[in-house]
Amino acid sequence: SQRAWSGAGLCRGRGGSRGKNEYDLLVIGGGSGGLACAKEAAQFGRKVAVLDYVEPSPQGTIWGLGGTCVNVGCIPKKLMHQAALLGSALKDAQHYGWNISQPVHHTWSVMAQAVQNYVKSLNWGHRVQLQDKKVKYFNVKGSFADPHTVRGLTKAGKETVITADNIVIATGGRPKYPTDIAGAREYGITSDDLFWLKESPGKTLVVGASYVSLECAGFLTGIGLDTTVMMRSIPLRGFDQQMASLVTEHMESYGTKFLKRCFPTKVEKLKSNRLQVTWKNADLNKEETDSFDTVMWAVGRAPDTKTLNLETIGVKTNSETGKIIVDASEATSVPHIYAVGDITEGRPELTPTAIAAGKLLAQRLFGQSSELMDYDNVPTTVFTPLEYGCVGLSEEAAVQRHGSDNIEVYHAYYKPLEFTVAERDAAQCYMKMVCLREREQRILGLHFIGPNAGEVIQGFALGIKCGATYPQMMKTVGIHPTCAEEVTKLHITKRSGLDATVTGC
Amino acid sequence: MAQRLALQRLLSLPLRGPLASHGRAFGTSARLRSTFNVQDGSDFQDRVLNSSKPVVVDFHAQWCGPCKILGPRLEKMVAKQEGKVLMAKVDIDDHTDLAIEYEVSAVPTVLAVKNGDVVDKFVGIKDEDQLEAFLKKLIGA
Repeated sequence: SQRAWSGAGLCRGRGGSRGKNEYDLLVIGGGSGGLACAKEAAQFGRKVAVLDYVEPSPQGTIWGLGGTCVNVGCIPKKLMHQAALLGSALKDAQHYGWNISQPVHHTWSVMAQAVQNYVKSLNWGHRVQLQDKKVKYFNVKGSFADPHTVRGLTKAGKETVITADNIVIATGGRPKYPTDIAGAREYGITSDDLFWLKESPGKTLVVGASYVSLECAGFLTGIGLDTTVMMRSIPLRGFDQQMASLVTEHMESYGTKFLKRCFPTKVEKLKSNRLQVTWKNADLNKEETDSFDTVMWAVGRAPDTKTLNLETIGVKTNSETGKIIVDASEATSVPHIYAVGDITEGRPELTPTAIAAGKLLAQRLFGQSSELMDYDNVPTTVFTPLEYGCVGLSEEAAVQRHGSDNIEVYHAYYKPLEFTVAERDAAQCYMKMVCLREREQRILGLHFIGPNAGEVIQGFALGIKCGATYPQMMKTVGIHPTCAEEVTKLHITKRSGLDATVTGC
Repeated sequence: MAQRLALQRLLSLPLRGPLASHGRAFGTSARLRSTFNVQDGSDFQDRVLNSSKPVVVDFHAQWCGPCKILGPRLEKMVAKQEGKVLMAKVDIDDHTDLAIEYEVSAVPTVLAVKNGDVVDKFVGIKDEDQLEAFLKKLIGA
């Protein structure tokens, strides 16, 4: 259903001086948000251009059109996660009767080439799509000359000047490098480089507690590499912390080493070409050291705004994060200039939200729509070896918002049927549903750890969006035998203190 | 290595030509003479559009599995035509603008060019008989 006009913000960007500027819409950044916005605008018959440019990483890695998700994010991550899962499946297979000689070995270069080739096919696919939808594409690095003019520089330094009635900034983010650790930039890599390595990273230290860190460390462990995660404090900040602990607990039993409450102080290169890392162990209050083949920084991502020249034209950014401040209609502080995706302050750093926001923006600018992007109840999944999917509020957020007396948490430890014959430990397979206690008992949040968590949560996200209640969930019949059916059977409350282990048949 | 140098001298090709890019030695000199990698837009103009002989243009990509099957098969069939038709190979990642200009979307895409015009086209893998028919039509027409 269409949202009502919320006021002044939506009036901007319409009836721009057609004909004075070269394009109706210029999008800076050819990633998830930018491409979606550009293609949608072109559907309305508008003259649209996209600028995309990849600044090489400090290690020299570059990639093609499509943005972070396609090239150094979701896509290669999920494929490598799959490679690791297949390794576990091969181990399980013996129990199911398959004659597979153990141990099974993994060859990085075979996986990497296959993944990289697929990504390259996506780069091409995006290029063709822009062409088909008549969107002009420039492989240039853009910077603002004035609110309607952008200067684009090619790799060779050639300049193009582009003018547009409306401009959307969708340049996304890049991994941060620590600034106070000697050798960090010189010897370390980030996720920008990991997926494009031609040779195995070998014994790897992943520094960080983000989902980038845990997902990468997870699949590196899964393909048989000696992998260590170094965390300064809590894992998966911002996520439900009970679930985050279960995720890291599983990773430990899976074989990933954890250095908790540690932070690196320096990285040096050894004669053997290995990297010597020295760190401070806060618990033991001493310095420790070890050598690795690869050190990967996963200590956060920073918005890509440095070279855009935003200060000159007055686009306001958050002083702490550097991200562009936008209102509910994705408008910046400058009329006719908008922003979508990872570059925007306070939004989830997810592909689907960037795409949806980009499309809705185009529809509001050129398609007589007034619908705003709804950022509530966005489902997501962390693709660690045992996956964690969620939608809605974490238990902590629900308690903070409503008070612990006003919420009920239903939970269960379950065992996936597939784990039984394979003799796999299911200690961390767990789910919980956070509901309001009063009246209809609306579901505020759903959290699931287990195989195929993303597939499980996706369907329930629709229910949450529609305001589903606990009684409605209990009336929903489960599909048997699945893990997802346990969601429809949740009945043990945390409040009762009873043992939450449930059995299947 | 010796074969590579001999062939290079034979054709006076720059070292960064077909052999360098492919890293694969052609089996016969006939195949060598009739197949080449397009270097850039003006090379395409010279050797394809301005060619006195008809040219089949193989748009391919390093990441494309079927291209690795069609490429050698087409080269073989072109060589069989004894110089009556030439084959130009275009890597769409190296020459994206050219590929876009000729409306390539899926790969492999093969264009038949005669006197500067695209007179025929196919997309995807074809067997040897189909390729021979395609080439004979181009030569004959």
